[in-house]
Parts: sequence; C-alpha cells; structure tokens
Amino acid sequence: MTLPIPFLGRAAALAAVLLAAAPALAEQAADAVHPMGAYARAVPPVVKNSAAYLTLHNSADAGHALVGAASPAARVVELHTHSNDDGVMRMRRIERIPLPAGEATRLEPGGHHIMLIDLTGPLEAGGEVELELRFADGSSRTVAAPVRKPGEVGAGHHHHHHDHGSD
Amino acid sequence: MTQTRYRLLLIAIGLAALVVGWYSAGQLQTRSADRGLEGFGGDFTLESAQGPVSLDDYRGKAVALYFGYASCPDVCPTSLANMASAFQALPEDEQDRVQGIFISVDPERDSPAVAQEYAQAFDPRIVGVTGALDTLQQVSRAYGAIFAKVDMEDSAMGYAMDHSSVIYVIRPDGVVHSLVQHGTSPDQIADSLQEALRAG
Repeated sequence: MTLPIPFLGRAAALAAVLLAAAPALAEQAADAVHPMGAYARAVPPVVKNSAAYLTLHNSADAGHALVGAASPAARVVELHTHSNDDGVMRMRRIERIPLPAGEATRLEPGGHHIMLIDLTGPLEAGGEVELELRFADGSSRTVAAPVRKPGEVGAGHHHHHHDHGSD
Repeated sequence: MTQTRYRLLLIAIGLAALVVGWYSAGQLQTRSADRGLEGFGGDFTLESAQGPVSLDDYRGKAVALYFGYASCPDVCPTSLANMASAFQALPEDEQDRVQGIFISVDPERDSPAVAQEYAQAFDPRIVGVTGALDTLQQVSRAYGAIFAKVDMEDSAMGYAMDHSSVIYVIRPDGVVHSLVQHGTSPDQIADSLQEALRAG
C-alpha cells in the first residue's frame, strides 16, 4: 500500500522532464545558436567588399542552419565559401551553412564567411558593424562585430596547434 | 656460365643507375641551393599609379611577388598581411632590402591606383600594379600562376577570380628563390626572404 507514493513521485518526475524538454525541442535557432568571436575585416577605403567571420555554437538537440545575413555596413550580404583545389582558390556563394546540434561551426578565413558586398562606408579598424543572422527556421538575431585589420586577423591564424575557441 | 655473366651484367647496370641517380640528385640539390629556379619567372613590366614598374627595378632587393585582386575578401588579404608581417619581422637593416609587388589580375575592377592603394594598406613596401589582360596572362604563365574569371550569376559580386595563392620569393639578382604556398606563416616567409638575400 506504500507503492503508489514512489510511483507517483516517479511519474511526476517524468512529467517534469517531459515538460522541461518540450520547449527545448522547439527552441528557436535565435535562442539556441550562440555567436562567438564575431569580427569583420578592415579594408582600405578603395575596396568595396569585405568579409565577416564568427563561430556559431548550436546548443540545441536539433540541427539549425544559417541561411542569410544582413548589415547596415553593406548593401548586399551573402554567405560564401572557399575551396582550395590543388592551390587554386575558388570562392562561391552558398545558400546555407548547416549548424549541427551541439557543435560549434566556424566561419573563418579560407572557409565559410559572411560576404559584405558594396560597403556603405569605409570599414576601419576599431569600428564595429552590426550583423543580423538569419536562420532556416525564420528566427534571427543581431550580433556586433568589431572591425579588425588584416594583420590582426591573420595573427591568430597560424598557431595551428592552439585552439582558442571563440578567438 | 652465361647465366652468371648475365646476372653480373644486371648488377653492374643496377650499380651504374644508382651512382648516376645519386650524382644527379646531388647536382639538383646543388642547383636549387646555389642557382635558385633559374629560367622560371623572369622580368616583366606592368603599370603602377606612378608609371611602369619592372621586376628589374628592384635588383639588389629580395622581392615578394603576389598575384591577387583587390575585391578578394579573404585569401588575398591573408597573404598580403602575412607578407607585411614577414617584412616587419626582419631585422632593421634587412627591412630596407625587401620589396613587395602585388599584381592585380582583375584589371576590370582594379585600376593601377586601386591596386596601389590596396597594396599600400598592408605595408608601404608593397607596390600595387596591373596591366592589360594579355600582359597579365603572359606574366602569370611565366610564374605558373593561375587565374580565371568566373561568373557568379547568383551573387551580387557578379564574378569572382579563381586564382592560385603563392608568394614568389625572388633573389636580389632577379632569380626566383622559392614558392611560398598559401597559409605559410610570416616567420617562414621572413626566413625565405633572408635566404634569398643571402643567395643572390
């Protein structure tokens, strides 16, 4: 006759877990994807294009995807990627960057990047640009990206053995 | 008896091949160390904002040569920033004995003035040049550099340039010393420049 009490307790615990999990399953990309270390590349005023980089950590149990971006710093913003085919660098536009569940996806020099086309003003080191990240589920979030000089950008890139995470 | 002789002959041939191979390998090594990549690359004349620029103008300096384009958002700035860092990493007396040349292979978008302003943003020791498409093709062919205009209909960029990303380190006597592949650290580029300064 004492059995129902632990049983009820267990059922309640199970219900609590289910209730807690339910909103997590439906978590929007804008809440689940954490942008880290965003920066845009400073370019000489004569150049009308630049690129922005960041790491996107998807803390959700479900995969998400970055499908676009916007910024007041550029008239057009696109997602691009690079490939190195036997020493030939090829840059192409891509429609989406998958963000697998639980993983950190890096947008970095030589790989995926956010391409800022037709800059609305000079991108000078020390400045900051706003990036609106648009996800496949329709949600979006804005991140501030400091503008860094190419030298500073390249600097951390050569310590192959050190993983600076959000650097 | 004939079979033994045949075997001896084979062994002799094998030994001869080994000796010849060892000797030529030695020769090749000596050649690359002493003479650089002679016959590769060579002089050229292209347009800068201040008039024609030739490789031969920089005799007496070690030259770091790079083919790229100004609206290249990622690969070229990384390479030019590394070139600039390499220059800055050299001892002071050697800093005046190096010269960078950025050749824009995108004359449609990059005038000599644009190429120059772009190059100078990385380091004042880098000159920016470009030229007519057929001249650029000749120069890049001589250096084994690759570039091709690729239409990007789905992008506001309009087109991109597929291109090789190599820094050519050239000795003060104009001979190519080494080809520095994309992603090489500034320290290694600086080492190559110092070797080039000592070699020629």
